[in-house]
Amino acid sequence: MDQRNQMHRHIANTRKSLFDQGYLDEQFIQLEELQDNSNPNFVEEVVTLFYRDSARFLSNLDQALEKRPLDFNKLDSLMHQFKSSSTSIGAKKVKTECTHFRNYCNARNAEGCKRTFQNVKKEYTTLRKKLEAYFQMSRQVGPIETACRSR
Amino acid sequence: MTVEEIRGSVGAHNNINNNNNEIDRFPIGMRVLAVDDDPTCLKLLDGLLRKCQYQVTTTNQARTALKMLRENRNRFDLVISDVHMPDMDGFKLLELVGLEMDLPVIMLSGNSDPKLVMKGITHGACDYLVKPVRLEELRNVWQHVIRRKVESKSQSKSNNNQENRNHEGGQETGSGDQNGKVNRKRKDEDFDDYEDNGNEDDDSSTQKKPRVVWSIDLHRKFVAAVNQLGIEKAVPKRILDLMNVEGLTRENVASHLQKYRLYLKRISQQQNMVVAFGGCNDASYNMRMGSFDGPGDFRAIMGSGRISTAQLPSYSSSGMLGRLNSATGMTLHSLTSPNLIQPTHTQNLTGPVNSLNKFHPVGLPPNHQPTSLLHGIPTSFDLGQLQQNNKPNNAHIPDFNPIDQSRVFNGSNTFSTLGSDSCLNLVSSSSTFLDVPPPMSEMFHGQMPPMMADTMTSFGSNITSMPSIPLDSQSQTQSQRVAQYGKQSYGQYTSNGFSTLAAAAPPANSGGLGGPVSQSNDLICGAYNKSNGNGTVANTKLKMGSGENYLPSGFVANNGYDSLDDLMNGMMKREQDPTLTIDGEFGFDPYSFGSCI
Repeated sequence: MDQRNQMHRHIANTRKSLFDQGYLDEQFIQLEELQDNSNPNFVEEVVTLFYRDSARFLSNLDQALEKRPLDFNKLDSLMHQFKSSSTSIGAKKVKTECTHFRNYCNARNAEGCKRTFQNVKKEYTTLRKKLEAYFQMSRQVGPIETACRSR
Repeated sequence: MTVEEIRGSVGAHNNINNNNNEIDRFPIGMRVLAVDDDPTCLKLLDGLLRKCQYQVTTTNQARTALKMLRENRNRFDLVISDVHMPDMDGFKLLELVGLEMDLPVIMLSGNSDPKLVMKGITHGACDYLVKPVRLEELRNVWQHVIRRKVESKSQSKSNNNQENRNHEGGQETGSGDQNGKVNRKRKDEDFDDYEDNGNEDDDSSTQKKPRVVWSIDLHRKFVAAVNQLGIEKAVPKRILDLMNVEGLTRENVASHLQKYRLYLKRISQQQNMVVAFGGCNDASYNMRMGSFDGPGDFRAIMGSGRISTAQLPSYSSSGMLGRLNSATGMTLHSLTSPNLIQPTHTQNLTGPVNSLNKFHPVGLPPNHQPTSLLHGIPTSFDLGQLQQNNKPNNAHIPDFNPIDQSRVFNGSNTFSTLGSDSCLNLVSSSSTFLDVPPPMSEMFHGQMPPMMADTMTSFGSNITSMPSIPLDSQSQTQSQRVAQYGKQSYGQYTSNGFSTLAAAAPPANSGGLGGPVSQSNDLICGAYNKSNGNGTVANTKLKMGSGENYLPSGFVANNGYDSLDDLMNGMMKREQDPTLTIDGEFGFDPYSFGSCI
């Protein structure tokens, strides 16, 4: 019991810190709201889908950034889609870096693009780890608790 | 009966088919089709929509979505689509859905750029949402469904009233029941004249029926029926009987007839303006036309009511209209040909005209003899006659191809090139035009006043007698052309010379008004005997036909019809008085040609 409670608290704290540290934003809350009995693992499903699907964007971007000269329009277009996806799950920091990237694209700044892209990847990976840990904890505790967790 | 009583009866009636609960529960259960290539966004959208208790279908491919919708448009109440998709532009999907199925479409995009929002709206989106979409926004989208139903209902209502129908939104075919019973019920409550109407189709009258989509075939049957009955006698009930299409109600026919009449009227008016018409190519039209997806376009146009005449002008020349316009402009010039056609010509024109109606700027083969192409075409739009005409060119619907190309103008040659080339082009292009002719006819009208009169009539009415060669040949060409096109279009306007003319006119080129247009005009003019010597009508690039431009410029999808009666009257008059000068009155009001487009 106590352990369980502790677990809950731990999960709650983890979650809170994700928000506080700016990794997640309100959109993530929307996802949580959509999770209910008929859709018990909605949040995790969406996040998993995101990471699976967005991998191709990242590799496309990597390839595009290797080309010389850089095709900024294409880069922008790819990043636009990636950003759109990230926004859907509430990946705040990732989204911010994407915006920077697009700004550099518009400014035709190759260096800036490459640099921010590295940041994008970093944030993306960090968030993934955190979310994976978070979901794992939640699963351990049980879905009901997860849904009941207060915001 | 008080409103409550009516509602009660309506509700009771509806109960037979639907549960009252459904009505009350709307928008719960509203069927939404969600399209987004991004799986994350799609899943999110799915979740949101399910949370609103809608019934959701998702797809990440626009083509799949379109296919699903085409298979059964009544399967969905609303479409939500992303703008940026790899296989098809969201805006294009939007247009197609709106036109073909007349379903409300909501655009979704990560980009909130006002220009894109504007683009969405101009393409017909009901709403434009920016990602990430919030639940509250989606909770309200059902209003678009209701709004559209109310609008279409009142539109059909007014149509019905005109037709003296007692049905109000009787657009539903018997089978069109799936379109949201809930919606239907709701709509029923809004209209309280069902009971009073004593409609024999009770089911349909009290329920909101899905809109009928006037496919090419259906329209062709309709035109055939109208022609057979004669424009004056073409009443919805009889047309319906003649058409013998299951599930079609009299109200459907009535409202379609109304539109058709307006269309004819417009054509006749345009004829007068033909001179003035400088071939307006509206790029937008082209764009629109371009987006048409084949046969669906016409229907869409007709059905969706989106294409207002006003819109037509904006069509680019690539559209049928565009072509017509161009052609018109051109023809006008060319019409000044010396041979003003004799009245007889006009008659011949009718033949081709009819075919032209199909929107193909028929370019009757020059070698066709002057025999009246249209000879089959009775002024009274006697379809039967036309068909009999063994002249293929006479707008025979079924026989378009047979038209004797050879027939077409042998003599005059004025159209020689016109006919053949344009015809061919037209034909190949397609059967899309529904009603192009109108503009054409108008064009001629302006140009060759004397001839025009005749020709015009013939267009509209049946250019049956094209005695003079130049005209004949022309008309023949036209008719032949039309015939060629005819596969599809003839049926519709066989007797309606307008369309053929119209069709003929535009094909000239979508954009190139210059040469080709005149050619097409020639065709039409040919009837008029314009002998413009455009021998090279060939130029008609009938883009129209590409199957995409349904909306034949001539035919203004929605209110294109101008009274067929006028047309008929005009024709009759002419026949009686061949020498009548065409003062641009075929019995129509002088419409500016240009306006058609």
